[in-house]
Amino acid sequence: MNGGEGKLSSYLKLLGRHRTYGVLTLMLLTVVSVSLVNPQFLDLTNLRDLLVQAAPVAIIACGVMMVVLTGEIDISVGSMMGILAACLGVFSSSSDLGWPVPVAALAVVGIGAVIGLLNGIMVAYGKVPSIIVTLGMLTALKGGTELVLGGEWVTDLPDGLRYLGTGTWGGVPICVCVAVAVIAVTMVLLARTPLGRRIYAVGSNDEAAVCAGINVRRIKGFTFLFTGALVGVAVIVSAPQLSVIDSGFGSGVELLVVTCVVVGGVAISGGVGTVAGVVTATLLITMISTVLIFLRLGENATYWSRAIQGLFILGAVLLDHVVRQSSPLPGGGGH
Amino acid sequence: MKRFRFWHECVLVVLIAMVIALAQALDPLFLKGEVQRELSTHIWEIAILSIPMALIIITAGIDLSIGGIMAMCAITVGLSFQSGIPTGIAAVMGLIVATLCGAFNGLVVTRVKVHPLIVTLATMAAFRGAAEGISQAKPVSSFPESFTWIGQGVWMGLPVPAWVFLGLLLLSVLFLELTPWGKYCHAVGSNDEACRFSGVGVDRLLLGLYTFSGFCAGIAALLFVARRNTAKADIGMGIELLVITAVVIGGVSIFGGRGHLMGTVLGVFLIHETREFVSWRWNRDELNFIVIGLLLISSVLLHRWLTPKSTSR
Repeated sequence: MNGGEGKLSSYLKLLGRHRTYGVLTLMLLTVVSVSLVNPQFLDLTNLRDLLVQAAPVAIIACGVMMVVLTGEIDISVGSMMGILAACLGVFSSSSDLGWPVPVAALAVVGIGAVIGLLNGIMVAYGKVPSIIVTLGMLTALKGGTELVLGGEWVTDLPDGLRYLGTGTWGGVPICVCVAVAVIAVTMVLLARTPLGRRIYAVGSNDEAAVCAGINVRRIKGFTFLFTGALVGVAVIVSAPQLSVIDSGFGSGVELLVVTCVVVGGVAISGGVGTVAGVVTATLLITMISTVLIFLRLGENATYWSRAIQGLFILGAVLLDHVVRQSSPLPGGGGH
Repeated sequence: MKRFRFWHECVLVVLIAMVIALAQALDPLFLKGEVQRELSTHIWEIAILSIPMALIIITAGIDLSIGGIMAMCAITVGLSFQSGIPTGIAAVMGLIVATLCGAFNGLVVTRVKVHPLIVTLATMAAFRGAAEGISQAKPVSSFPESFTWIGQGVWMGLPVPAWVFLGLLLLSVLFLELTPWGKYCHAVGSNDEACRFSGVGVDRLLLGLYTFSGFCAGIAALLFVARRNTAKADIGMGIELLVITAVVIGGVSIFGGRGHLMGTVLGVFLIHETREFVSWRWNRDELNFIVIGLLLISSVLLHRWLTPKSTSR
């Protein structure tokens, strides 16, 4: 019995040090148990749909995670998606401005970056708490989306744009390719560049970072700008998946993304967290909504998906608590 | 070291005066008593919710789950009414469920020591999801008139919800000003470690506040259900952000330790008047959102520039 306990506690310690393993365990358990009930879950088309669904969330989560790493938060991404999708539609649709697709796409990323920069300037230079700046931005951009769309839907999206949403490169949907590229860039940026180390440093202890000669303001500003640009990228590959762009696009995504970031093991106080953890958590959380369908619990079960999502976050939080109680050392480097 | 505590409230009063002056200049009809009473119908839930939210944010916490708790309460009331339980008892059951939800938040926040933002983000989804699952997102309606009165009725010149709000406000102000626990709220928000060392029951205070927040969410849900005469799981979607906006505009620091209920009331009033006037005058909802967003950011910026440099955060 002693040996079993020892194993358990050492496993818990491993979980404490690497949240990714915990999320990965949970995900594998989910996949195995669901595919035992319904082997169709492992069907290639289903896995593809899952990745397509997770891709935009993962792209945005990469940005928001960086913001959270510096000890700030960005909850404006939902409305930002809405207004950027509206811009994309209005720019490219032939009945409105009718710009060529690449120009419209670049413009959307640019606008995203500008909005992000605005957030960043107000947080880093205006010294307004980020939750307030981005809450205000969330509200303001929701109105902005309606203004851009003028109370109508954009329906005639050009084929070139639709291709970005529905096309494939070598059998892989474009949005998944883009998501993989973004994830790779973020990983390299955070783990292999001085900028990445500075982001962690700012989040761990920003006074020490100042003493070490890091320009904290510029780092924070950059993370917001990066997030804004990534929201633009996510919109370009996800909005044209539907043939209609309406003002409801992206609403509620901000909470989904924060959920992914937190379940993925990024400390809300900053300084701790990995891209791998966030991406795994994103996959896990996207999976939940489809799992209920595949368990064949009937139509009624789909109404429970939000409850299960909430339980997963609570589970992650409680797991962290258990881990911290069982191992005297603070996991993952502490705050 | 006694400083003037109400700089932010002065800013708010000036802003409110500006809105009213603008209304007077552009459209004096807007300021008539009856128009104001008509327009006030859907501010009372937000006003009621802003009281516990202000107290919680003063202790450096936050409660995102109030919308979810409202859904739980509405579903309890709706389903028990549907199964033939008298409305009065159904309402009490709803309040009990809401209070228990709040107590659950409080327990997790105090026992697990995770940031309340995360805890209530999780319970927000869990409560709302449970309400959707239990009710299968179906609405329940046609409550008796004796119940809808609490949401639609008028008593002594004011809507019934307004009296409920004033009652809760009075209780909370008395709590804050007269009891030692009220004083501890600001202390816990400024430095909870120090409070623990000086023997303040921080956990008991927080547990109480989150439970109170659940209770108020229950009250707000009852008023909402009574006003609309429908109980559905999508009640109060996104209301938490509106409430937080009102509280922050009212001068409560999101980092805790600073703020007053007076400011919160002014903040709710400012948001309400601005929003209603914009809708009334230009008849466009999208402008509303933009104005509120800008108001939120600019009120904090204004506060930062106008107050004498005392607190560093």
